[in-house]
Amino acid sequence: MPEPIALPSRREAIARARARGQRVAAVLPIHAPRALLTACNVHSVEVWGPPGVDPEIGASHFQAYTCAIVRNATSFLLAGHLDDHDAVLIPHTCDAMQGMASVLVDFVRPKMPVLTLYLPRGRRASDETYLVAELRRLGRDLTALSGVAPTDEALHAALDREAAADDAVAGLWRDRAGLALSDRAFFTLLRTREFLDAEAFVEVARTAPRGERKQRGIPVMLSGIAPEPMEIFDALDEAGAHVVADDLAGVSRRIYPRVEEPDPFRRLARSLLGAAPDPTLGQPIPERVAMVRRRMEESGARGIVVYNPKFCEPELFYLPLLAKGLAEAGLPLLHVEHEMTESLGAQTRTRIEAFVETLRGAQ
Amino acid sequence: MTPSATLSYLLNYELLGKGVLRVQRWRDERKLRAHHGKPDDPLNPPLVRTARMKELMSRHYLEGRYANGVKKVAWVTSGAPIEVLRALDFVLIYPENHAALCGARKKAVDLSVEAENAGYSRDICSYARTDIGAMLSGRTPVGRLPKPDLLVACTNICQTVLYWYRVLAAHFDVPLIVIDTPFLYQAASDHQVAFVKQQLEEAIPVIERVAGRSLSWRRLRGVAERSKTAAELWLEIMDRARNRPAPMTAFDGFINMGPIVDLRGEPETIVFYRELLAELDARIKKGVGAIKRERKRVLWDNLPIWHQIGHLSRTLGRRGVNVVVSTYTYAWGELAPMMDASRPLDTAARVYLHPILNRSTGDKLRTMEKMVKDFALDGVILHSDRSCKPYSLGQIDQRDRLVHERGVPALLLEADHNDPRAYAVEQGDARLEAFMEMMESAN
Repeated sequence: MPEPIALPSRREAIARARARGQRVAAVLPIHAPRALLTACNVHSVEVWGPPGVDPEIGASHFQAYTCAIVRNATSFLLAGHLDDHDAVLIPHTCDAMQGMASVLVDFVRPKMPVLTLYLPRGRRASDETYLVAELRRLGRDLTALSGVAPTDEALHAALDREAAADDAVAGLWRDRAGLALSDRAFFTLLRTREFLDAEAFVEVARTAPRGERKQRGIPVMLSGIAPEPMEIFDALDEAGAHVVADDLAGVSRRIYPRVEEPDPFRRLARSLLGAAPDPTLGQPIPERVAMVRRRMEESGARGIVVYNPKFCEPELFYLPLLAKGLAEAGLPLLHVEHEMTESLGAQTRTRIEAFVETLRGAQ
Repeated sequence: MTPSATLSYLLNYELLGKGVLRVQRWRDERKLRAHHGKPDDPLNPPLVRTARMKELMSRHYLEGRYANGVKKVAWVTSGAPIEVLRALDFVLIYPENHAALCGARKKAVDLSVEAENAGYSRDICSYARTDIGAMLSGRTPVGRLPKPDLLVACTNICQTVLYWYRVLAAHFDVPLIVIDTPFLYQAASDHQVAFVKQQLEEAIPVIERVAGRSLSWRRLRGVAERSKTAAELWLEIMDRARNRPAPMTAFDGFINMGPIVDLRGEPETIVFYRELLAELDARIKKGVGAIKRERKRVLWDNLPIWHQIGHLSRTLGRRGVNVVVSTYTYAWGELAPMMDASRPLDTAARVYLHPILNRSTGDKLRTMEKMVKDFALDGVILHSDRSCKPYSLGQIDQRDRLVHERGVPALLLEADHNDPRAYAVEQGDARLEAFMEMMESAN
């Protein structure tokens, strides 16, 4: 069992935002301009699935071959769990997320507005120019929601706070060996970034319990979209492995570079475009392989577990060449696909055990 | 350009190949003209001009086979803005068309397995698997695909092509131009159009560098003009299916759409579609339909099921059901009115942003409703294609709206455009049978 750690809950975060007079938006994966929302007085609460909902509700709109995040998030919304939110923001992460946004806008028509954001797939001058205009457009939509227009000063300040929160994520990883947290507890803490405002997250990171690290064993990197269900950490622990680095879309892929730029919209655009190589952003595969390999070597990870919901096409396309590139460096990869349910399944646990055993054997 | 490659190109393509294919076309035409069909065949004899299409497409692949070392080769997505490439004399290869050809010739599974053995999941697009399999194994029913000097992926049909072309770029180690087209949840905004235009402007120097020469704007306007003419003709051809009985089926459309996709901007494409239009007009004049006893008229939504075209057309035809038009084939003509060859980049930015796959699910429903009205249709078959998520997501609501708000019988048919392993024929037939009964009872 993971040790209990006192962390604020989603409900508490939403209540605090309300008390501050903020609107609350449910934000779908992956890359969203949190600073822009904050500058418009909108608090973002991310929805990565979630598990534990009846996916059949979403199945009335989406075929069985649609990724679980879309089906579960739609179920979550239709079951009324987002009724206390003022908007839903769906970044254009992939074809499935595009379909979800379009179906919500055109057919489901929830009572709160559905906002969209198209993220460009390159890093050219045209991408930056476009993204600046697209963020300004989203800013106008958020202003219509909250009545607060983002001033340059407010947006710069929000960007500074988000950068500090990104630094806090990187800092937690740097200090990992000195944190008295199991992997599950550590990632539970990291994932509070999904619903806490930047300052609150920095505070949570600062007060993370120090002491001797609670897990030992074979060091691995965890990749994929989101560590959901979080039983993955229990399975790794039981198999004798621990996570020394992550390449999760919901965690380390969203540590954006710091950008100095007088125009805050351009600063935000450059920051988003500077994200680590990510399949959903369509970046070159060799860049992604090199980045993952470098981070595995730096962290001492002996292997990588890629943990994805089924039907995640961007991830699936990049996997064979990622596996090949890492294998050339003697770094094995295990791909685990799962339905986004509470239970991990015996077969998956067995595969993880076998993978860790292989890594141990190669020691 | 190498002397041996040039010699091989001239001999095998220009001298022998073209001649052999012309003779083959004459033979095919003669055979088709003499074809009166079996009495129990629900379909009338096929269109004679299909032989011309076969010649054009075979010639296209034959040129590709001998192009390396003679001409620059670009592999492009089906929705890519190709006019600049064509104006610079690139030989264009369309992996999607190649995959469809493999599917229609029942070669897709073997090639997909090659990709799956290399780690590509069965849950990714079957076109991509087929082509990656062909790339890895070197096997293809067209003899040989030329290596690309350049890759161009346009996201106006899906994001899948971007990931797929990243795989190709890593494999071939050649430049990849991405033309990114923001999805239109609503009407296109100025910054979206400006984004596409700016990318086209950024692409030109890259294409010129690979081509080794500068773009002639006069030639570009000529290509754009021919693209527009071909698209207009294709739209006219599709619209001929408004006649009752319809002189062609959507399945004929799937088969004859090769040139509008692969050979847009070429003079031969215009000649071919003019001839095809004339043949359809002759059929209309004589009152000859594509099927012998057209009783019900249906819309097809999404890509075809390439491996089932013959079976589906006969299964439906036997019950007097003619699938007269499809949203998929219509997509290559419906934007013709937006094209203006005198402003090739401005026009391209707008046109390539607007394919049906880049428009909202609500817009697609409105497109289908309009087609139901314009073509006097009795029902809609929505192919729920597990390999094409952007086309398929939204279909459940679209079907529900058609059935419950418009009273149009509609069927969601689960399949995969290129992978027969994801389609159960008996189950599909049973669903079609129930759908046909639903149409009967609706009137």
